[in-house]
Amino acid sequence: MAEPRRKMKDLRKQPGFDFMAWFCIVFLYAPIVVLIIFSFNDNRSVVRWTEFSLRWYYAAFDNEGIRNATIVSLKVAAVSTLFATTFATMAALATTRTPPFRGQMLSYAIINQPLMIPEIVTAVATLSFFSIIKQLTGVTGIGYLMLAHTVFCIPFAYMPIRARLEDMNLTLEQAAADLYATPIQVFRKVTMPLLAPGIVAGGMLAFVVSLDDVIITLMVAGPGETTLPVYILGQIRRGITPEINAVSTLLLLLSIVLVSAFFTLGSKKK
Amino acid sequence: MTLKRSIPALVAASFMLATPALAEGELNIYNWGNYTSPELIEKFEEKYDIEVNLDGYDSNETMLAKVREGNTGYDIVVPGDSTVKIMIEQGMLAEIKPNEMENFGNMDPKWVDVWWDPGRNYSVPWQWGTTSFTVDTEVFGGDINTLALMFDPPEELKGRINMLNDMHDVINAGLRYKGYDRCNSNTDELRNVTELLINAKQYWRTMDYSTIEKLTSNDVDLSQNWNGAAMRARAQRPTLQYAYPVEGFTGWMDNVAVLKDAPNMENAKLFVNFIMEPENAALISNFARYANGIKGSEAFMDEEMLSAPEIVMPADAPTPDFVKPCSQEVTDMYNKIWTKLKQ
Repeated sequence: MAEPRRKMKDLRKQPGFDFMAWFCIVFLYAPIVVLIIFSFNDNRSVVRWTEFSLRWYYAAFDNEGIRNATIVSLKVAAVSTLFATTFATMAALATTRTPPFRGQMLSYAIINQPLMIPEIVTAVATLSFFSIIKQLTGVTGIGYLMLAHTVFCIPFAYMPIRARLEDMNLTLEQAAADLYATPIQVFRKVTMPLLAPGIVAGGMLAFVVSLDDVIITLMVAGPGETTLPVYILGQIRRGITPEINAVSTLLLLLSIVLVSAFFTLGSKKK
Repeated sequence: MTLKRSIPALVAASFMLATPALAEGELNIYNWGNYTSPELIEKFEEKYDIEVNLDGYDSNETMLAKVREGNTGYDIVVPGDSTVKIMIEQGMLAEIKPNEMENFGNMDPKWVDVWWDPGRNYSVPWQWGTTSFTVDTEVFGGDINTLALMFDPPEELKGRINMLNDMHDVINAGLRYKGYDRCNSNTDELRNVTELLINAKQYWRTMDYSTIEKLTSNDVDLSQNWNGAAMRARAQRPTLQYAYPVEGFTGWMDNVAVLKDAPNMENAKLFVNFIMEPENAALISNFARYANGIKGSEAFMDEEMLSAPEIVMPADAPTPDFVKPCSQEVTDMYNKIWTKLKQ
């Protein structure tokens, strides 16, 4: 933890560092800035500016398709975040608060599997798998989509929680145990309060990842389960209106708020 | 302990969210995004007391991928002409016999015996249109009704052209310009077409689906496009004109069909019959801005559409060419040409 800090100073003094940094920032964010600007355009075009207006925000709020998609997105993200964070916390505890066990590396690999496998592979595999289950059980509904989201959100929730656990000194937990606290008391009174910022951070990351997903959702979603990103994708062939810019801007705003909160909580060390 | 106890409860709760949605009075429609009139859906819901779920897809391929796996839960899909043929051949569509339905008589007879569904046993028209191109007549003053403008452009259009990023639309235009057959497997002719396309590429600025944006931002002065998109682009740039090239141009039709495993089969049939009503077909057109194939719908359509030169074809224009799907052999050759062109 101390090591990168020592190197940081040298890196910033490298010639051209400022230029490269600014170049990358502009290159990455200029299109997004353009998107935001045109969400306030009065005209129907997403490329020609006329005058400032909020009409596309009103249009977006007035559009039933967008409203429904937003509700589905938030519902799926909330439920899958809850489950993903719960499972990720259990996994993180099991992989850091136990003596090294056989197959530990394998469990890391399995937990992080959704990060390694290309999303389209997971999407197609999940589609076939769920289709068979639906055939056998006759059960349909939004639960499938929530389950799929939970699975790929787990590694995103797991990483900050595990990082937090590794940073936490074991001595506090050992001290509590020495003072005759039962394992459950140790967990509730010591581990959990220290770990909470990590769990909240992991949960928010999972929420954002679920909210932004396209490929898996596109394949798995059933009737009435269109999420906002999938809705936007469906519009492209027929021409984009600034309505989509307005929705994207709002989505971006939500992501920024959550990611900023994630970093604030993650960096809070106690 | 509370955590441990609440987990089974949460799992149980998640299964309750997954309750079957097969109640009577539902209809699940899977259509291209931004293509279904909300007014049409409201009217249908009110008339039959059926709740409609509407979802959008971005391409025939996405829809096919999901339907092929089965159990999508959707009743109605809206495939393009050649996709209808594929879906019938692969047994994905229900034989709902629209030709025996009450409103079938409203269908324009020229759309009944189509090659993708002869006699209309599976599908009915949703919207149809043409794929040609739009030119700014202020930039180029000559005769626009020729494919030469794309392949041998005059000086003022060089480097000001956008083509659709679609293998079939580009290659078919090349074949027509050369006067060759569609679904061509003649290697000499295909070599000539490849040369033509590769030579023409130097005059093309972009190959992109967002034709309205390209034209209205003055990025290009000529763009290959669909007639409905051409009409919308003209609204913002009035000097644009849609061409009906003498060498020919593509026609296409999206069709309403019912999936074989549709959970709400009877409601789906009601919907198919419902959209053959002229007033309802007009609702679709007024929203999606294409023609619908139902006689008498003109009376209920927006004035603007009845006079639009993009929708109402001039009498001397060639008949649109509804291209059949090509054999695998031809498709493989097309793929090679396309890869070479995109390098």
